[in-house]
Amino acid sequence: MPLSADYIARETATNLWRNRLMTIAAVLTVAVSLALVGAALLLKQGASNAENYWQRGTQVTVWMKASANGSESHAVGSELKQLPYVHACSYHSQLADYHEAKTLLSPGEFQALTVQTTPASYRCTPNQPQYAQAVYNRFNGQPGVLKVSAPFSQIHTMEETITVLQWVFLSVALVLLLSAGVLILNTIRMAIFARRREVSVMKLVGATNWFIRLPFMSEGLVQGLIGSVVAAAVVFGLHALLNSFANPNNPGTVLYQMRLSGWELFGTDFVVVLIGALIGSVGSAIAIRRFLDV
Amino acid sequence: MIRFDNVTKVYKNGTVAVRSVSLDIQKGEFVFLVGPSGSGKTTCIRMLLREELPDRGRIWVAGREIIHMPKWRVPYLRRNVGCVFQDFRLLPNKTVFQNVAFALEVIGRPKSVVETQVPQVLELVGLSKKRDNLPHELSGGEQQRVAVARAFVNRPLILLADEPTGNLDPGTSQGIMRLLDRINRTGTTVVVATHDAALVDWMRRRVVELDQGTIVRDQARGVYGIDATTGSVPRTEVGARRS
Ligand SMILES: Nc1ncnc2c1ncn2[C@@H]1O[C@H](COP(=O)(O)OP(=O)(O)OP(=O)(O)O)[C@@H](O)[C@H]1O
Ligand SMILES: [Mg+2]
Repeated sequence: MPLSADYIARETATNLWRNRLMTIAAVLTVAVSLALVGAALLLKQGASNAENYWQRGTQVTVWMKASANGSESHAVGSELKQLPYVHACSYHSQLADYHEAKTLLSPGEFQALTVQTTPASYRCTPNQPQYAQAVYNRFNGQPGVLKVSAPFSQIHTMEETITVLQWVFLSVALVLLLSAGVLILNTIRMAIFARRREVSVMKLVGATNWFIRLPFMSEGLVQGLIGSVVAAAVVFGLHALLNSFANPNNPGTVLYQMRLSGWELFGTDFVVVLIGALIGSVGSAIAIRRFLDV
Repeated sequence: MIRFDNVTKVYKNGTVAVRSVSLDIQKGEFVFLVGPSGSGKTTCIRMLLREELPDRGRIWVAGREIIHMPKWRVPYLRRNVGCVFQDFRLLPNKTVFQNVAFALEVIGRPKSVVETQVPQVLELVGLSKKRDNLPHELSGGEQQRVAVARAFVNRPLILLADEPTGNLDPGTSQGIMRLLDRINRTGTTVVVATHDAALVDWMRRRVVELDQGTIVRDQARGVYGIDATTGSVPRTEVGARRS
């Protein structure tokens, strides 16, 4: 069947213009809902980035007994280096720890300490906070090891918080996507309902279902694309705005820790536009199905 | 060209609209379908377009059995069967020309065909001068002519008309009938469902009368009704002079 691109393009353009109020309504619906979806996706990724950042900061410390000999200390050090889940370790000698203790302890407590009685230590960063526990299990009680310490309970709380946050943002995004889908479907359905006369005439004179469906789908596609490009721009702007508040000189702030790479932003915008195009075209196809039966 | 074989249609609510109807219409015939309101005329036409499926029996249109026809073929059936209704069914925001052209465009006919066929058929229905008017700027009779033009522009084998003159005054109705007659003379089979006794009497064509879904009369050169008191057919002249 000669389904000419020319016919579809012409039908699409004239119908978009003739029903411009509906077009604007549909485009705005797509834009607003997808901007919200995009924002939720950004936050979700931001939370995950912040988690990585914080994870990189957790430390597990293996304290050596003051009495430990050189070979014991060396054994622990080389074993730590070989563990695949330990990112990096640094060795703090007895003298270094003695000086650090001076700054951390009260003068009363510090008085009892000498360089010889201060434990040397390995400060290690595991790939994931939960591996601190593995390091603990491995080295606690090993010859020459005094104890293994890590902020275990803090790690646990932090992990739970971030997991919850990620889920919250993801489900917000999903709920928004769903309601955006329903809103858009409804808008398209209203547009088609307004033109059911046209559809019935098309069927009467023997237009095939694809011939009826395609102009509507391409119309929905155009609306979805315009709306989602607007949404993508909003997401982009939002990202830029948040970034402008994230001060690189102060990496402790959450905003700085959450910041996204260019690829993550590009990916989010891509997903937003893809969803818009899909919702527009597939939504139209679904919305028109009811009018095609008979 | 059209064949009903023992067709029965029962609507979902239990109404038996058509009951064991068998009917043969040859190529090039002009047939009136008459009968009181609710006798099943519209149902027959809807079945011919496959807008409704019968519960029993078989129907052939243009040599094809249409009851077991796959769904995707239905549009191609409808391209062979033009259709006109009492309420015209024009698109209000398209001009006369666009309304007629629409019927060709949506079945994928190229622009060149549209540009030659549409003016021809507008000439045939006598609306060349109004080609750029919108439907609401036309009289009822003119609107129905546009509808006929739209139904005929694709040169279908069959033209169905359901109460085409239901909204028109007698003079205008005759005009439409003359037009249908002219189309019939091009070889197109024409079936007209109508209440309009005067027109049926005036045209003197084959009349099929339905009552409560069954065929009660099939007359080669008939009139609308048999005189109830005498049981005789009214004389020709009575109908012919009515105009
Ligand atoms: N969609 C439907 N659902 C249920 N019953 C229907 C439906 N359409 C028609 N009917 C019934 O079927 C019977 C035949 O209706 P049909 O419309 O075919 O009659 P008709 O001869 O065209 O009448 P009219 O001259 O008034 O147009 C009627 O009793 C009607 O009430
Ligand atoms: Mg009827």
